[in-house]
Amino acid sequence: MTKNILIAFPVACAIMIGMIGCNEPLAFDKKREISVVTREAGSGTRGAFVELTGILVKVDGKKTDNTTKEALTIDGTQAVMSNVGGNEYAIGYISLGSLNASVKAISVNGVTPSAATVKDATYPIARPFNIAVKDSVSPLSQDFINFILSDAGQKVVEENGYVSVVQGNTYEPTKLSGKIVIAGSSSVSPVMEKLKEAYLALNPNVEIEIQTNDSSAGMVAAKEGTCDIGMASRELKESEATDLRAIVIARDGIAIVVNNKNPLKNITMATLREVYMGAIRSWEAVVE
Amino acid sequence: MEGVFLIAALTSILSVFLICLFLFVNGIPGMAKIGVFNFLLGTEWAPTDTPASFGIFPMILGSLYVTAGAIIIGVSIGLFTAIFLAKFCPERIHRVLKPAVDILAGIPSVVYGFFGIVVMVPFVRTYFGGSGSSILTASVLLGIMILPTIIGVAESAIRAVPENYYEGALALGATHERGVFFAVLPAATSGIMAGVVLGIGRAIGETMAVILVAGNQARMPTGVLGGIRTLTANIVLEMGYAADLHREALIATGVVLFVFILMINLLFSLLKRRQAR
Repeated sequence: MTKNILIAFPVACAIMIGMIGCNEPLAFDKKREISVVTREAGSGTRGAFVELTGILVKVDGKKTDNTTKEALTIDGTQAVMSNVGGNEYAIGYISLGSLNASVKAISVNGVTPSAATVKDATYPIARPFNIAVKDSVSPLSQDFINFILSDAGQKVVEENGYVSVVQGNTYEPTKLSGKIVIAGSSSVSPVMEKLKEAYLALNPNVEIEIQTNDSSAGMVAAKEGTCDIGMASRELKESEATDLRAIVIARDGIAIVVNNKNPLKNITMATLREVYMGAIRSWEAVVE
Repeated sequence: MEGVFLIAALTSILSVFLICLFLFVNGIPGMAKIGVFNFLLGTEWAPTDTPASFGIFPMILGSLYVTAGAIIIGVSIGLFTAIFLAKFCPERIHRVLKPAVDILAGIPSVVYGFFGIVVMVPFVRTYFGGSGSSILTASVLLGIMILPTIIGVAESAIRAVPENYYEGALALGATHERGVFFAVLPAATSGIMAGVVLGIGRAIGETMAVILVAGNQARMPTGVLGGIRTLTANIVLEMGYAADLHREALIATGVVLFVFILMINLLFSLLKRRQAR
């Protein structure tokens, strides 16, 4: 009995290790099915993506998100990147500002995604970053907003890989003091942190608290007054826009990403749409 | 002093009551707005469309399929492990094996999920096809996760069977194996079943690990290599961004899950009572 166990244990170990070892990826096989990766319904990135690519079809006031039902649904930009980075046959989309070397961004209609191409509007998939405030804004919050929309604030936006939206406003520190609470989208908060740093350097008596959750929670908080400024990585919904005023602070491209082993370099908008709507199922039709 | 104990005891009851209240008060109106049958039996989940569809039947099936898969894997391995631990295992090996099983219970589910996404998903993708995020992957992973629950309860159920059952079997000329499988095991059935039910409860409520490996497609299941979204995954994935009726629908999804868990717990206490008798 004991002897059997002494044999069985190493064998089981060997099988386990074999399983891990056998995950060596093979060469890219064009005949394989595309693993389409999408974000969860309600995500700002998904909302912007389906709208800009025409996957969201509007007919007679009806809106249908035609993203293929076979798409893997993944929550969060980082999770999409790690999934695409680990699956040679995956395609996904993420905020351009979050892009890193773990995945490969491909051109759309021959245009490389970058801050420059988003700015001159040649890159077709770009969205606004919004902040939202109530009609009555405290002087301090208004001062921070003035800073964001000034050349100094917009420079911070550009330095972090996003695209500026306004030019020509100058900002003079007013030396106010007090506290600003900002809440909302996790896509917007990285750039908001940088704006906060730059603003505090000019106004050391101000305290800014940034709560990162998501677009909808940020809008609710702004509406209920639990925060001064809400952040959204999408346009405001009708129910939100009645109480809140949206201000565009930056633009962000949505990069189409594939695995680094994927030979694909460019995709046309039409092909991208067909991939995401499930009409094209295999890489053969996409990769030359 | 007694009052302190009473308050401590009431805290948990109060929590359960408050959770119940919160779920039903927030979930039922949403369910009524969508229509109970449209909600429970609808096969289309498209919360951001206009008009939106909120059918959670695919997710109900998803939870059931993945749990069934986990039970097939978890019970077959877990039961044999429990029998081995209780009746075959030399003391020396028991000293190593039992803590190993307990460690398995202590690993956070996100770590299981990470193991799943790094090791199991690519393995399934390479050798079985598809994207790798599938019912199969999720079932195997959940099967491993519920092992400690099943092993623990089943082992103590087997050990609780009076020794004279086994001795009687031997006296009638049965071998060790026969004695264990045909005299001891039937006597422990209801205890083992309780373990299985507890395992089902854990599998159906598991969230983090499943989200990472199941693919989360909100559509009817297409096969073991296709992905699936469970009830828990549906809530966690979309709660962050949901507003208005979408949010209510997610809370109503929680109500459905809660009812499932209640039924499982009820079943568990029934089995427990039968075992005690």
